[in-house]
Amino acid sequence: MTSKPKSKQSLTRRGALKTLAVGAGAASLPLWARYTHAQTAEPIRIGFQIHRTGIGAAYGRWYGRTTDAAVKLINDGGGINGRPIEIIAEDDGTDPKRGAEVVEKFANQHKCDIAYGTLFSHVVIGSAPRAGELKLPYFVASEGHHVASGMLNRYTLQPGITDVKSQVQAMAPYITNTLGKKVTMIYPDYGFGYDHRDNLPAAIAAQGGEVIAQIAIPPTETSFTKYFPKIPRETEVLYHVMVGPAVLTFVKELGEFFGPSAPPLFGFIDSLEAVDIASPGLEFLEGTFFWEGMPRYAQEDQTEYDKLYREAVGVDANGASVSDASDISTYAHMFGCWETLHVIKAGMEAAGYSGPADRAALIEAVEAMTDMPEGRAHPQGAKLFNGKTHQVFGHQYISKVEDGKLRRVHTTSIEDTLYPDEVDYTTQSF
Amino acid sequence: MPCLVRADGHHGVMIQVVLIGVAVWGMTAGVALAHAAEQGFVLLLPTDVYIVSGVAAVALTVLVLALVPDRLAHRVFYPLGLWRAGRIPLAHVTSCLSALILVGLVLSGIYGSRDPLINPLPLAVWTVWWVGMVTVQGLIWDHWRWTNPWTGPAALMAVLTGGRAPLRYRVALGHAPGIVGFLAFCGFLLADPAPSDPARLARIVGGYWLVMLGGLVLFGPRWLLRAEAVTMLMRLYGRMAMLGRYRGRLALGLPGWQIARGPRLSRGLGLFALLLLGGGSFDGLNETFWWLARLGVNPLEFPGRSAVITPTLAGLLAANAALLAVFALCTWGGVRIAGGGAPLNTALRAFAPAILPIALGYHIAHYLVSFLVDGQYVLALLSDPLGRGWDILGLGAHSVSTGFLNTAAMVKVIWLTQAGAVVIGHVIAILLAHVLALRLYGHSRRAVLSQLPLAAFMVAYTCFGLWLLASPRGI
Repeated sequence: MTSKPKSKQSLTRRGALKTLAVGAGAASLPLWARYTHAQTAEPIRIGFQIHRTGIGAAYGRWYGRTTDAAVKLINDGGGINGRPIEIIAEDDGTDPKRGAEVVEKFANQHKCDIAYGTLFSHVVIGSAPRAGELKLPYFVASEGHHVASGMLNRYTLQPGITDVKSQVQAMAPYITNTLGKKVTMIYPDYGFGYDHRDNLPAAIAAQGGEVIAQIAIPPTETSFTKYFPKIPRETEVLYHVMVGPAVLTFVKELGEFFGPSAPPLFGFIDSLEAVDIASPGLEFLEGTFFWEGMPRYAQEDQTEYDKLYREAVGVDANGASVSDASDISTYAHMFGCWETLHVIKAGMEAAGYSGPADRAALIEAVEAMTDMPEGRAHPQGAKLFNGKTHQVFGHQYISKVEDGKLRRVHTTSIEDTLYPDEVDYTTQSF
Repeated sequence: MPCLVRADGHHGVMIQVVLIGVAVWGMTAGVALAHAAEQGFVLLLPTDVYIVSGVAAVALTVLVLALVPDRLAHRVFYPLGLWRAGRIPLAHVTSCLSALILVGLVLSGIYGSRDPLINPLPLAVWTVWWVGMVTVQGLIWDHWRWTNPWTGPAALMAVLTGGRAPLRYRVALGHAPGIVGFLAFCGFLLADPAPSDPARLARIVGGYWLVMLGGLVLFGPRWLLRAEAVTMLMRLYGRMAMLGRYRGRLALGLPGWQIARGPRLSRGLGLFALLLLGGGSFDGLNETFWWLARLGVNPLEFPGRSAVITPTLAGLLAANAALLAVFALCTWGGVRIAGGGAPLNTALRAFAPAILPIALGYHIAHYLVSFLVDGQYVLALLSDPLGRGWDILGLGAHSVSTGFLNTAAMVKVIWLTQAGAVVIGHVIAILLAHVLALRLYGHSRRAVLSQLPLAAFMVAYTCFGLWLLASPRGI
């Protein structure tokens, strides 16, 4: 990367404190000239629900960096409707109840225009009802199927990241056509694993393949050797989505069990998000395949948008922080923050948003969106938004581990990710 | 890269047996960050070998102590006199400065950023004070004499009003208010849904400071020593410090030398010392897969602190009660085995401070990782206190990073450092208990016999502490 690394202040403290400075009118003056054409230079206040503490903290740190970078880019470009964005970050503790309290603070205490966040599904599910009651638009970047499933409300939208259901089903064509037709699944025995357990078999069957075994592993397990004999001998592809601290042990034991005669392995990068693929113990992953929401390593045909996005966030060509090569980002997911903020900008501009009275108009403007072309606002790739289900759909990536790096070998079509609507939020009144 | 030996998560029959006995009453929850990669590497470390080694080191200390002459044991805690040091009468001035800083921090908690890793108050309270200043107090020197935010303002008010404390602190209350205060602090630290929320913390810190200042003005210095939990905690840990005063000189000695040579604790302070360990060890157990499984919580999908407030508080109280019971039982057993010579009450007061090195070792081990991460946010704050893009400390282009938790070699170094803190804490505790027993009984054989149950307890507790470090965590 040739870009100048961002300073520590700009990425952390300065980025967030600047939000205060913006409000106080103390930010760098030349920028302000760009806002003068707006009717008001009052910032648009976006409440950012962030996992600062709790089990989501590792994601929260990178979601924070991505958010700072996107806000800087948008503000440098004139803001939204000529007004700068001000981020008000509140820690949700990766805690659903706390998440709801934070949403309430955004609405009542901080006088935010909208709320925006966060990754962990249970926090989104815990917060969305309160956002609906407060009539506060709540733009989430959580990847869960809860938005499109219809369990939330009209005020909750997921326009910046695809949901797990679409990701899982989009993997089926590549798995069956390239890797093998007889699939054995290994997944953790709770909600996250069930998203895969419930959505993959039908998609594999539709491609002429078959899931021949589903092996659920208790979440507290720290040794996996006893489960491997349950893998049928005729398995042609092993599909794994283990997460948590025991993942490295899982991979290592899998390697010890199979040796060189392993079937092709297909996994979700969620297992190793923010973990160096070249870590000792992970050698067994060489030659295996992963879903990636966005390729962690800059590819040979890297787009200018990916390049710009990496430079803005401060991520190098290996997906690590430019200031510390061992600090691996949550690259497969964090683009969701960047793209969501750009959708918010587009929605507010389309709605002529001027204040909380326009919240419903903002939601209608986003609901009216369909095609989102690849570009600075969408560096992960083109998207298709479904206004009825409030869920965006997009390309998915399959990468192969080669020389300890992930090289993209397949890009799904958006059509591969589509499924019938399960809800029409537009029929709900505001 | 280090050779990684497979750890299967089960650390052998011996450890299992000890754990059944120990884990039932150890336990806590901190403001820790989840670092899956770090924990993943820890699970790949040969922690079972490390645990056995650590326990063996502590057990060996017990054996060696039984054999060495009394004089040699005492000598371990002889301080090295450095230079004559008069007392510098500036403590009230620095205390006033400390109070001013505290007020500034509280105001920043109310009016500053809502982000707990940007706002100065949570960083100052949880990273600088609770981890940093408490560790320096226990390990190096009693800085609380200068840094406490009460004595200076109270002295100033006394000068301005010209009056003495108008009320008398009721002696019958003993240390009870401070003990209750400390338990409340532990409850806030471990069970509150958002202890780092700047506004919430500002209300609590500001309110506590005012109430305690009021108590000090109304009741005089005794209030600070018996009703103010932070000062009680700091003064107790201050006795652990390597630097202290001895015969008019500044003196340097093994941590604990001031306890070995100092006055016996009162019953209330002895109890406080035990609670330090009870709270500290629960602040670790409550994060483990083991504890979460007891609650029926999926550690990979932790429902958040607000979902476990009651069990956390119950666990905290149960852990403390169990620790008190086991400690009392061990001490009683020791008195019986020694064949009398000291009443149980005296023995309890004599041996309670021997728990302090263990508590401090736990404190250092438990918070090391979060200190290394959050300490970077503190540096960022110091380098740019007003968020103007300054770089006073010359940190240059560096973002806060957890990359060091992403490499097996660094994780091993960190884990062994944590384990070292736990093991060294226990070794010093055993040395200290032995010297305190010699003081109590004045007789080597009796002293050794009286220590047997307590030493066995400390060996088991070493195992528990190392198991905590090696266990996968879900918070």
